[in-house]
Amino acid sequence: MCERPQLTRSGLLCKLQKIILMGIFVRWTYLPWPLIGFLLVTGCNHRAGEIRIGVAGPMTGDQSKLGQDLQRGVEVAVEEWNQKGGVLGRRILLEIGDDQHDPKQAVLVANKFVDSSMVGVIGHFNSSASIPASSVYHEGHIPMITPASTNPQLTEQGYENVFRLCGKDDQQGKIAAEFVVNRLKAVRVAILHDKTTYGQGLGDLFRKNLEELGRGSFKVVYQGGITQGDKDFRGVLTSIAEARPDLIYFGGIYPEGGLIIRQAKELGLSAPMMSGDGVIDPKFLEIAGPAAQGTYLTFGPDPKAVPQGRRFVEKYRTRFGAEWAPYAIYAYDSANLLITAIEKAGTTDGKKVAEALHRVKYDGALGRIEFDSRGDIKKSPYVVWIAGTGEFKEYWAPPE
Amino acid sequence: MFLQQLINGLTLGAVYALLALGYTMVYGILELINFAHGEIYMIGAYLAVILTALLSARGLTQVSLFFSLALVLLICMLYCGAYGITLERLAYRPLRSAHRLSPLISAIGMSIFLQNFVMLTQGSSDRVFPQLFPRKTLRIGSAGLSLLQLVILSLSLVLMILLHLFIRKTRLGRAMRATAQDRVMASLCGIPIDGIIAATFFIGSALAAAAGFMVAIYYGLVNFSIGYVAGIKAFTAAVLGGIGNIPGAMMGGLLLGLIESLGSAYISSEYKDGFAFLILILVLIVRPNGLFGEKTADRA
Repeated sequence: MCERPQLTRSGLLCKLQKIILMGIFVRWTYLPWPLIGFLLVTGCNHRAGEIRIGVAGPMTGDQSKLGQDLQRGVEVAVEEWNQKGGVLGRRILLEIGDDQHDPKQAVLVANKFVDSSMVGVIGHFNSSASIPASSVYHEGHIPMITPASTNPQLTEQGYENVFRLCGKDDQQGKIAAEFVVNRLKAVRVAILHDKTTYGQGLGDLFRKNLEELGRGSFKVVYQGGITQGDKDFRGVLTSIAEARPDLIYFGGIYPEGGLIIRQAKELGLSAPMMSGDGVIDPKFLEIAGPAAQGTYLTFGPDPKAVPQGRRFVEKYRTRFGAEWAPYAIYAYDSANLLITAIEKAGTTDGKKVAEALHRVKYDGALGRIEFDSRGDIKKSPYVVWIAGTGEFKEYWAPPE
Repeated sequence: MFLQQLINGLTLGAVYALLALGYTMVYGILELINFAHGEIYMIGAYLAVILTALLSARGLTQVSLFFSLALVLLICMLYCGAYGITLERLAYRPLRSAHRLSPLISAIGMSIFLQNFVMLTQGSSDRVFPQLFPRKTLRIGSAGLSLLQLVILSLSLVLMILLHLFIRKTRLGRAMRATAQDRVMASLCGIPIDGIIAATFFIGSALAAAAGFMVAIYYGLVNFSIGYVAGIKAFTAAVLGGIGNIPGAMMGGLLLGLIESLGSAYISSEYKDGFAFLILILVLIVRPNGLFGEKTADRA
């Protein structure tokens, strides 16, 4: 087209002309088709008839079992509703978001859910994911029910669309401290946490309650943190052994918890371990093996004591061929609560559904559930469980 | 307590040392940092878990634990050695005459690919190694040396001595040293460079597999992401000891394990991962070529 030498100003302009013309040609012939295809594909997702609910949790990574348990619990609830014709005459569709228990991923998932106009979200799992995500849902006016995030900060933000079905860490810490002071009488306590919002929060709340209740005769002889994802804790456990504790309290989740108790026993540390709801999972027993026996932990009361809870456990076993997973029940009840609220509100408008959630009284697999003005459940007892051979059992409840 | 921390640190360090050897050998010959090395280690660990579970299901581990584990170790080392050779052939050889950064990017790409490959095929949750080792501990003063730790330490020592003898005394070892010194000259002397490089990758990967095998037994848990952190730490260990230097990699690995263990015990357990890198920075400021590295003359 232009035969000028390249390195002059007009030469470069000429080259530029060539590029622009090529670009226009390319755009005209190639661009519309992928664009049309893209619109067709995404357009197809927005079927007007369906109600979409999001499920968010750690679906991949070392805590993927927890995310999977969450998803399965919600699936059972949604299937039940869909068999009865859905809600408001529309089918319910689930969308899964994977936050890999990473706060940054959680925000991405939350943004995605808000953008695709979910009616509500069951999630997230970890407090460090739920808290940042809750701000996004608050701005998008989407109700969020978390089955498992126990850090108190979540419901202290004043967001009217945030709810939680589980208890809070200040309650967990208090019950744990009561157990240690009144029942175990373990005078020297070592505290370990995994530096996350949940783990460190729980560790601190346990310490605060222990020092208040213990009135000076109970001592925290060691406090330290470990890193999530790490596999070798012998260094820190050897230091703990030096302090000769009567109990090791661990704030964290089962992958680290299992390894910690296992390595502690290998090092000859005979003190029992106590933890929170992050370790009540069969995987904990698998990872720690025989070392897990005699580990205490705090969790809600046994759902198998409620008939609806037993029905859920049976249904879960037949549908998934696996033993009930502790948080699947919470996810199941969360989903039922959300869908019940949608029905009571008569609309998919997020604000109205959230208002309905604040007023709902529901009898679920966990018993009667009502939310208070902050989004916490009104009745939230924690009890102490113990790990036996291959299973967890309820062990001690605080005297009324 | 100090003795116990020493034992813990040395055991950890032995694993880092085996991994660091792979990094240092490849760097010595190709001046390439093989970022996918951590993933070979991870594959070795996964294979160890899978094979042991298989043998255990057939009842072979009850017959003789020692022989079945030795068989598993052998297969892991051979398998990962093959992985290493393939890796080199696919990702690095075509880029040998390209810009220095290209094989590096290729290595990072292979690392991501292998991680996701294992995640998709093996699932993303942790896999547990069957608990077969008897829980025996030898007490030395106030410290305890468990059977596992003893096995790891002695196996690593044996492998490192074997490698050292190999590099120093055999013809192939001499060829490797020559190729590392000056690749063009070595090829002019009749050394088959491609074959030597393949052999280097094979040995490095086999050592990584041995490390992965030991880690699978020691912690009992494998996950597709263990290669990433271990790879970074082992690379740090190799640089600490002087990259390209084999005794340096061994010392660097052991030193790193000790620093991590003692640091987490005496200073703070929360900053455990930070100590190693802090020491790295300090060492490099004082001795830029690492502890054992020599200043190489600039090529003419």
